[in-house]
Amino acid sequence: MSSLAAALADVVGGAQVLARPATLHVYRSDALPGLRALPSLAVFPATPDELIGVIRVLAAHDAPFVARGAGTGLSGGALADGITLVGLHRMRRILALDPVARTATVEPGVVNATLTRAAAPHGLHYAPDPSSQAACTIGGNIAENAGGPHCLKYGVTLDHVVAATIVLPDGEVVTLDRGDEGGYDLLGAFVGSEGCFGVVVDVTVRLTPDPERIVTLLADFTSVDTAADATSQVVAAGIVPAALELMDAATIGAVESSVYAAGYPRDAAAVLLVEVDGAADGVEADVTHLTALLRDAGARGVRVAHDPADRARLWQGRKKAFGAMGRIAPHLVVQDAVVPRTRLAELLRTIEGIGVRHGVRVCNVFHAGDGNLHPNIPCDTDDPAEAARVHAAMSEIMTACIAAGGSITGEHGVGIDKLGYMDALFTPETLDAMCRLREVFDPGRRANPGKAVPVHACREWHAVPAGRRGVA
Amino acid sequence: MTGAPTTSSVTVTPTSVDAMVDVVRDAVATTRPLRIAGAEQWPAAGHPVRATITVRCSALRGISHYTPGDLTLSCGAGTTLAELDEATGANGQWCPLLPWGDDAGTVGATIATATAGPFAERLGRPRQLVLGLEAVDGRAQRISPGGRVVKNVAGFDLTRLFTGSWGTLAILTTLHLRLRARPSVDESWWINDGDAARLHAFARGPHLPLAVHRTDGASKGLDGEGWLVRLGGNRAAVESARETLRGCGTMAPVATEIWDRVRLVDAPSSPALAWPWTPLARRVRAQFDPSGILNPGLLGDPE
Repeated sequence: MSSLAAALADVVGGAQVLARPATLHVYRSDALPGLRALPSLAVFPATPDELIGVIRVLAAHDAPFVARGAGTGLSGGALADGITLVGLHRMRRILALDPVARTATVEPGVVNATLTRAAAPHGLHYAPDPSSQAACTIGGNIAENAGGPHCLKYGVTLDHVVAATIVLPDGEVVTLDRGDEGGYDLLGAFVGSEGCFGVVVDVTVRLTPDPERIVTLLADFTSVDTAADATSQVVAAGIVPAALELMDAATIGAVESSVYAAGYPRDAAAVLLVEVDGAADGVEADVTHLTALLRDAGARGVRVAHDPADRARLWQGRKKAFGAMGRIAPHLVVQDAVVPRTRLAELLRTIEGIGVRHGVRVCNVFHAGDGNLHPNIPCDTDDPAEAARVHAAMSEIMTACIAAGGSITGEHGVGIDKLGYMDALFTPETLDAMCRLREVFDPGRRANPGKAVPVHACREWHAVPAGRRGVA
Repeated sequence: MTGAPTTSSVTVTPTSVDAMVDVVRDAVATTRPLRIAGAEQWPAAGHPVRATITVRCSALRGISHYTPGDLTLSCGAGTTLAELDEATGANGQWCPLLPWGDDAGTVGATIATATAGPFAERLGRPRQLVLGLEAVDGRAQRISPGGRVVKNVAGFDLTRLFTGSWGTLAILTTLHLRLRARPSVDESWWINDGDAARLHAFARGPHLPLAVHRTDGASKGLDGEGWLVRLGGNRAAVESARETLRGCGTMAPVATEIWDRVRLVDAPSSPALAWPWTPLARRVRAQFDPSGILNPGLLGDPE
């Protein structure tokens, strides 16, 4: 056992340190297929003291590390290539839940849906709802500034985080907030920093009251263009849906052929899933308005679901769409890009053309209300020729989204997967400024090295420790 | 946007971002600190700025990009809140910053100071309404984090960092803002001698009022102490909210313009008065303004 492994075992016990490749294999990827890297060690602290102790041991050994929640990330952000992986899934206590203040303080390994279940008896829930919410952790959500369908109305993770205790990579423990009472918004800088700024010890999040009434509408369209344009019309009409999701024919087919069948019309070119919630009278007025508006916008039919079971069925198809695509091919490459909402129809046509040209099948299922595309390609990434075609198609899709004034990621993060697009999105000076922000939190550059911002953009990073250049 | 300078003798008003870069570069080269100003509408942050040059952002003015269907808008930092309100109002939209102070203030100053207002809890704080920005930092680097789309997690979040940094890390030049549709029905009520517990419950309840604001009436031409309540939404939602509100006290309708008065006279004390200069905060400052030329002293930072 190395001296690092031995020192970590002193903190967490020998059973919570993995050092043999055979036992580390399960940690060699996250939910992004095609990228694998074996950590040299994995360590699993169970308490705040153990976590802080682990980070201090790593600092004392000048050892780089990657923090990991549930490994549901879609950008390769949780891969630890030959370095130490700090798994946080054992830190899963809800430390406090205050129904009057509507906040909860949790450890980073608490599963997103578990927090909502704990809040449910108080008529509250945790609003950010990534599709992986049954498995993903709050700590991982913080690292990625995770979104989800209901972010359209309720905002992304950052909008729900009040304060956090962080252990910086050098072992110092600090408390961060939004600066509403004075101070730089260091919590705003930390959330979404992809594990490059430190590790969450505990975090206080806002809980949201359950709405009095929720209604889900399913509108089906004979053309993707019409469905995409309808989303702009809904938002422009002043209605703020809780969620506004689009699924295309390829996705509908996958869902309806699976155990997650939701009753979507198989002959539709696209469906929109629209949810409105709030006080009962206002919601009913919105439903009436929406039904008329969607029909005027070209919907062939509009189905209105009031009943919780019916609503759950409509949502199941959306939330499990990625799973349903598993029937088509062994792997699913999930992409994440954002475009201005008014250009959705145009971009969907472009994406279709790119798919045809590269001989890959693109399934679109995404957050249309905020222009957050998820073009997914079911494929076999172990087939080098197919993997190359998928990669080429995805590159073209990202380039088209950037050209349309969009972004390369709305909620999944840059990780390793999208590092190559950062130069197209940001100027060298902007990327350098991002490196400088990282320098504030992690001057040793040991926290999740090589992720989020390309290292070549960091102008003052001359004295990179030996062996870490290129991955730092 | 900042307090009176100690010994300011020169005012410069750059008319382009390139000119702003030159101003900062010269300031770094000559070690002559800058006092950053928008419309000079904002109250002092409590500390004098140690600067001899005032940089006004007022010439970086105007809306450069506005697609109503996207509910996004880009404008120069010197654009006034009144100009922003007029342009968006024409499309039934607004950027509901509605900060403490008046609409002669600039968008840049509102974002630089992260000044919220009476509707922030419901309609969003400045930190939630800024999608991206362009700025010149204390190294004279042009930085443009974030973007114009409403959801974006690419790169480290310098937009959040610069918002509310009071011009001590970078001079904001352009802001990309999130807009919202104005509520189709928007009405305000004065409730004198209301039931505090019920109003508290109403504010937290399902009707989601735009504001429930406890205030003195005298400074607003009203009687006694009470609550100003603003309701917004579709007609059915507002009618239903109004019915619930009736159970909270005696209601009298007031014009929406009353909120302009509220924003002017009810502003809380500035968060800049108690700036925590933690080691992390000092490191941030050192990375983005290593020469200490941007608003030195404003946040009580040591000489």
